[in-house]
Amino acid sequence: MQRDLLELGLTRQEQQALQNKRAGIFIFQASWILTFVCLIVVNWQMRFSPNWMPDPNDRLGVVIATIATAILGASALLVRHAVKVVNNQNLSEFLRLWLISILLGGIFVVLIGYEWVIVPTGTQYAQVFRVMTGFHIVHAVSIGIYLGLVYVNGRKRVYNVNDYLWAVEAGAKLWYFVLVAWLLFYVVIYWI
Amino acid sequence: MATATYPIGGLQTPAKRPALSEYFRWSIDHKIIGVQYMVMAFVFFIIAGGMAMLIRWELLTPAIDLMASGSSYNTLFTLHGTMMIFTWIVPMFAGFGNYLIPLMLGAKDMAFPWLNAFAFWLIPPAGLLLIAGYFVGPAEAGWTSYPPLSTIYSPDGQTLWALSIHLLGLSSILGAINFIVTIKNMRPPGMGWFQMPLFVWATFATSIIVVLATPFLAGALTLLILDRVAGTTFFNATAGGDVLLWQNVFWFYSHPAVYIMVLPGFGILSELLSVHSRKPIFGYRMIALSSMAIALVGFTVWAHHMFTSLQPELRIPFMITSFIIAVPTGIKIFGWLGTIFGGKIRLNSAMLFGLGFLSLFVIGGISGMMLGSVPVDIHMHDTYFVVSHFHFVLFGGSVFAIYGGIYHWFPKFTGRMLNERLGKIHFALTYFGFFFTFFPMHMVGIAGMPRRVAEYDPQFQNWNLLIGFSAFVLGFSTFVLVYNVFVSIYRGKVAGANPWRALTLEWQTSSPPPAYNFVGDPIPFEDPYGYGTDASKAYLEAMEARFGESFNPEKPKALPPTTPTPAPEPSAGD
Ligand code: HEM
Ligand SMILES: [Cu+2]
Repeated sequence: MQRDLLELGLTRQEQQALQNKRAGIFIFQASWILTFVCLIVVNWQMRFSPNWMPDPNDRLGVVIATIATAILGASALLVRHAVKVVNNQNLSEFLRLWLISILLGGIFVVLIGYEWVIVPTGTQYAQVFRVMTGFHIVHAVSIGIYLGLVYVNGRKRVYNVNDYLWAVEAGAKLWYFVLVAWLLFYVVIYWI
Repeated sequence: MATATYPIGGLQTPAKRPALSEYFRWSIDHKIIGVQYMVMAFVFFIIAGGMAMLIRWELLTPAIDLMASGSSYNTLFTLHGTMMIFTWIVPMFAGFGNYLIPLMLGAKDMAFPWLNAFAFWLIPPAGLLLIAGYFVGPAEAGWTSYPPLSTIYSPDGQTLWALSIHLLGLSSILGAINFIVTIKNMRPPGMGWFQMPLFVWATFATSIIVVLATPFLAGALTLLILDRVAGTTFFNATAGGDVLLWQNVFWFYSHPAVYIMVLPGFGILSELLSVHSRKPIFGYRMIALSSMAIALVGFTVWAHHMFTSLQPELRIPFMITSFIIAVPTGIKIFGWLGTIFGGKIRLNSAMLFGLGFLSLFVIGGISGMMLGSVPVDIHMHDTYFVVSHFHFVLFGGSVFAIYGGIYHWFPKFTGRMLNERLGKIHFALTYFGFFFTFFPMHMVGIAGMPRRVAEYDPQFQNWNLLIGFSAFVLGFSTFVLVYNVFVSIYRGKVAGANPWRALTLEWQTSSPPPAYNFVGDPIPFEDPYGYGTDASKAYLEAMEARFGESFNPEKPKALPPTTPTPAPEPSAGD
């Protein structure tokens, strides 16, 4: 509710701009997720290769990845909560939640990075695995850095909680993107 | 007689043209960016056209003589194709879109002006990367860049090529997001989806293809770069990689991309044919929706480029989809024929190029259907027949549309008319030069002359002489346009707001339009193509009263230079 009130405070032009940004980020997400889908297609086609996984033991177990997935999920939930909190004009609580989400995101990256390092190489499986997880980590890290900037700006009181905070909404939406992209990969890499 | 009245605000004199230096700087004005796109694309067109001339020169004789080696020939057609597609046709249409879409929607600018500039400025470095390839051994695997040619058999320029295409892809995704949001969110009150000009529809459909297809190109290019620099073996068959992976992903992008390259041309054509036949467009909804149908069905036909490499069982389904996609295209063709049928056709340069498009594109469509049938394609694949096909659709189609668009909108961009006599000379040279360059390629193709090879069987030489000399005429014709543009910018007849008496909104403001395009809120006419009705005449008169008299190509009478005297503000009862 509070959020709507803040938005109501916007001028017509600002509302139009906000609408545009929302549509823009949505289309960007719908488009860019397809790069992940493309890598899934690659994964699928490479499964027909004679060198896909000559030794079935090469496939990584699901334990670490599942823990990482749960952590990323928790992080995204906290971000969601943080957005609600900031719309209720509670900046300090927002900052606390936001920071925890970023740290959880960091743990996720470390865990998947560990998988990237230990996967036995020399097969098409490992190669596709590394490209997929590496591609995802690049996104998680860059968007994580953006979340960090939002945090720093929040600390510096650059934001006025009485304004509608697009920077926060955008950060959250990009972080959901990281989660959704990962869920696709997680299912394909570890379960199918 | 009932006269419709339109509320009109203050009078408006044409804006001064921006200073030349504005075009060489970062600017977030969509009109500047539009011109930046168009001029830059044209420069690349000239460069890539020069390469085409060298290709034809080499092919005047069956032996390899002009080039030092087959490799330098490979480089030529690779950069020719890549630049024509990615740095000419695509950005040229983006330029038209940038300039025209906000105007046609009565908006002040695009939804994201900064992003718009950013997308543009990704292109010059990308073009430079392509050319920089010459210093490290340029790409030579064709614009399709098939591995293993593009992986183990190409010099470092191939990596630069891939990086360059990456940038261009990113640029077009960002541009497309901007178009979609602008079109969806910024239409003026009174303009529903089905009152939009068809060029706007076409750009919308194109943008949807861009955002859905280009990510696959990005994926494929990433793997290609990794194979080249990071030691992966995705496309290396000896290490269990698969070259068909590239073909699949590349064509999954690139077939839709051929529609990226022609749908905006369809849009331009719809504008030209309706305005210059003074008739409503025939089957507006069908033309609008068939763009969307093409956009979607376009994603199901990619493997028709792989008939000779695909598993045989998969050929038939792709043959069927390739035939299906001709249906929405055919609908458009009939819509356009219905539009000009019985119209008061003005045979000016813009319209001539429009009609030229129509006649040539149909030939390209038919040869496409021939190639789409498996038994024919098995023989024709990689011959000059294919070269003929795609030049009929891309030059006869897209480039003719661009030319038509230039003659049509130049008055809006610059406030001056292009010279008609030079325009007609340009058209005649282009049309016949084009036809005798590319039509005979059907013959040599059917007879078996392969594409992308510098040497050929001497029996084809006569045909190649005809093709070569026609190509030189075609190349020369471009400079007639360039000359016309330079002369007309300074000496052309003053155009006024609406020399074609067109109903779409970009004409309901001065030429060139002022900063933020419109003074006050523009009022769209209820039907962008409702020519020939009393209401439309009243609308056009109201607009003429507001913006002053425009040049009338049918009754030429010079207007005073720079500022046309604005008519007095109409009072109630006018
Ligand atoms: C009626 C619709 C069309 C059909 C059924 C069709 C079919 C085909 C087929 C089967 C090929 C592959 C030939 C081969 O390599 O053996 C081909 C090539 C090509 N087509 Fe079309 N086409 C159609 C329309 C278009 C349009 C509208 C464009 C562009 C605006 C286009 C651009 C191209 C290009 C660029 C190639 C060559 C690709 C290369 O370099 O190998 N086509 N077409
Ligand atoms: Cu195709």
